[in-house]
Amino acid sequence: MTLVVLVMASINKISKKILYLLSEYKVKPSKFIDVFKRNKCNIYKTLNFFSSNKTLKLNLDFGLENINQRESGDNNFNSVMDFLLKNDISVLNISDESYPDILKEIYFPPPILFLKGEKIRKAKFNVAVVGTRKCTAYGIEAAEYISKQLSKIGITVVSGMALGIDSYAQRAALEEEGGSIGVLGCGIDVVYPPENRYLYKDITKNGSLVSEFFPKTPPLKSNFPSRNRIISGLSNGVVVVEAGERSGAIITSEIALKQNREVFAVPGNIFSSESRGCHRLIKSGAKLVEDIDDILEEFSQYFGVCYEIDKKRKLNVDAPEGKVDEISNNPNNIDNSLDVDHKRIYEFIGYKPKSLEEIVKFTGYGIKEVLGILADLELKQLVEEKSFGKYKKIF
Amino acid sequence: MFFKIDSFALAGIDAIKVSVEVHISNGLPSFTIVGLPDKAVSESRQRVRAAIINSGFKFPMKRIIVNLSPADIKKEGAFYDLPIALSILAVSRQISSKLFDMSCFIGELSLDGNINPIKGIISMTEKAVSIGENYFFVPQKIAHQASLIKNINIVPGRNLNEVVKILCNSSDLEKYVYKSNGNKILYSNNCYNYDFEDVKGQLKAKRALEIAVSGMHNIMLIGPPGAGKTMLAQRAITIMPQLSLPECIEVTKIYSLYKKYSGELIQKRPFRNPHHTISRIGLIGGGKNPKPGAISLSHRGVLFLDEFSQFPKNLIEDLRQPLENKRVVITRNNASYCFPCSFMLIVATNPCYCGYFGDDKKKCVCSFREIRKFWKNLSGPIVDRIDMRVNVPRLKENDFIDANPGESSLEIKKRVRRCIEIQQKRYKGKKIKYNSESGSRMVNHWLEDNKEVRNLLSKISEKYNLTARGMVSILKVAQTIADLDESEIIRNQHLLEALQYRVNYDFSSLGYGKYK
Repeated sequence: MTLVVLVMASINKISKKILYLLSEYKVKPSKFIDVFKRNKCNIYKTLNFFSSNKTLKLNLDFGLENINQRESGDNNFNSVMDFLLKNDISVLNISDESYPDILKEIYFPPPILFLKGEKIRKAKFNVAVVGTRKCTAYGIEAAEYISKQLSKIGITVVSGMALGIDSYAQRAALEEEGGSIGVLGCGIDVVYPPENRYLYKDITKNGSLVSEFFPKTPPLKSNFPSRNRIISGLSNGVVVVEAGERSGAIITSEIALKQNREVFAVPGNIFSSESRGCHRLIKSGAKLVEDIDDILEEFSQYFGVCYEIDKKRKLNVDAPEGKVDEISNNPNNIDNSLDVDHKRIYEFIGYKPKSLEEIVKFTGYGIKEVLGILADLELKQLVEEKSFGKYKKIF
Repeated sequence: MFFKIDSFALAGIDAIKVSVEVHISNGLPSFTIVGLPDKAVSESRQRVRAAIINSGFKFPMKRIIVNLSPADIKKEGAFYDLPIALSILAVSRQISSKLFDMSCFIGELSLDGNINPIKGIISMTEKAVSIGENYFFVPQKIAHQASLIKNINIVPGRNLNEVVKILCNSSDLEKYVYKSNGNKILYSNNCYNYDFEDVKGQLKAKRALEIAVSGMHNIMLIGPPGAGKTMLAQRAITIMPQLSLPECIEVTKIYSLYKKYSGELIQKRPFRNPHHTISRIGLIGGGKNPKPGAISLSHRGVLFLDEFSQFPKNLIEDLRQPLENKRVVITRNNASYCFPCSFMLIVATNPCYCGYFGDDKKKCVCSFREIRKFWKNLSGPIVDRIDMRVNVPRLKENDFIDANPGESSLEIKKRVRRCIEIQQKRYKGKKIKYNSESGSRMVNHWLEDNKEVRNLLSKISEKYNLTARGMVSILKVAQTIADLDESEIIRNQHLLEALQYRVNYDFSSLGYGKYK
């Protein structure tokens, strides 16, 4: 009986009824949404429709006791409920207050969302950062940079928990305030791909995992397009960082357009096959993103506060090397901690990775001095080694 | 009647004393050798008989039994022809000499009585010294090798007759004793075809190799195909200091067991570059009659394992103990043999299957799963024993064009020699010679009064999550850098530079990263 009380606590009655409909009577979610919309988004009328439906022969006017009496056997609904409860998975239904409004707008919102982590209830503004699984070093850098900056000003980064761009974007976002929402193409308890198991653990601290699929659903190929619709559905805009010609990220952006979302694309190397998709998007009108200003500009009317913050930041953007943030652009800050040699090397290294050979050649220091100073700068988190033996400033 | 003289057998690279005993009695003429002789030893009956007759002596038509004592050790090789022939002559009273008691003999006879060279002479001479023999009769062709060992008189002999003559005229023996003349080490500066000058760019890798050679640290070069890993590794021996005479002898001893050995004193540091299809015995040593493997053949030199990831895992694991102990003990049911193997290990590998992971020009086509599998094969205890890991990136176009050549090997060698001298001073009276061999206790001792570096170290270990072993190996490298700098103590800059040689690939967060 205690179990049942707990179920009550995390899953409300309506969610339970919807779950019951979907699991026990195999009502298709699309059918449910169809009815829901025809009933002017009134959940009670919708449920009534199903309970009065003669062909289904079901009785939804049950109390808790009824369920237990009726479904005492080893049935689907009970096992799902048990599972949700044991694994601390909560459920949002379409009529819940905390069900994201923005997701309700789309053509076919999922009637039920399984979730872990509370971020989704609190997130104010979401932007999806998606891209290919076979990313290049440049793509990783871009994804990390954009997500981190977005997260810094409180925007939540939505992505698909896949390898490559998705996971880099999410990891970077988790480090800052905004956090991240991961949308899964499998049951919420299924860790796919297994490489991301730590991300699965970490994300619940400052983010959410979301799935419309019943627990234990394997990551079927057909699940991913419908997952993509939730990614774009949850977000106000979709940033495609790196995508091949026929990447899933391109599909996401197409769905986003249908859902009336903004689509952004990060340009890449013209010779890289992994940037083809992005370039095609830009050609057909997606906004080119160099910095998050380009993203925020589009939302300035909805999102004044964020843009204010951004404007403050913008005051600093005038260094010739490119983008500079508050910490590294503050000359006093560096003056205090670095001596002449350090400063000279630090200043020579830009945001474009420089090889050791270049540093030695142009600064005139010996290799051993350079190596020592670079290690020191790395320790102070001013510089990092990117790809093979190339150093760059940290943003 | 009975007669006995001393000779030697080889067990691994060490020699053991063997007494050649002859008993001669009346009866049907026969000639038997006992004492676990192999085919070559048994056949010496025919050689001895022919050599005795062709040298103008009489072969006794009696019952002859030769025993090689100790009788339970297998004797191999045609070492005993000369001692057997001499003892037959002595026991049949054709010759007599008071020298027999203080001499030992070794040599293979040809049918006309000439004495042919044998292998392993240096080990045998060493053994002869240690058991206190005065005279060692050796084949003339290899007398110069034997004479490398001091405190014994080497008597070269061209043929059986000459040896008999020397033995019988013991009064003017001194004039026959070998006088070494040409055995000075030829300090040639340019005995290699390679030079560090040829390497363009790759400043970090070059510096790393200099440090590695100075402290005999094992080093791993990681880079895409064509970056120059093999080129760098081949040049490592060119900056190693010349072998000292005892070291030359050690190396020659090992090579004298090796098939292709020409008989000369080896003065070049060995550089072994086995292909990854090498067998276990080929790498570690062994076989029915254990022979040194590639690790022993690279003693005092460099063992370079190119395409390290292609080596079978069990072979890589086999390297563990030899790396730690600097010797390998091969045990077979009859005996165990110990080969020294104090080598510097250089391994080179691509960063992934396709080779381009981390390269910014060419894209890596491996999946993360493949990359992780790749590194899983490499990682583990063996990589832990490699103090330095350096990435060797591909050069950019303008790095090639750089007109001024790099430092030559000779210049680098000077610094290395100086650094090694400093280490020798530090480790005087201790078993070890190089910084890389020092243990964690000694490393902690270096830091006792060095607060500054200790503080930095704790900062570093916090940031990079260093293991205890990682910390010790960074400190060892830092000490070598300090020695190269001729600094009394480790300073911050030395430790920071050492940190640069700990690249690793961290896949817990998926992708290129490094934990040092």
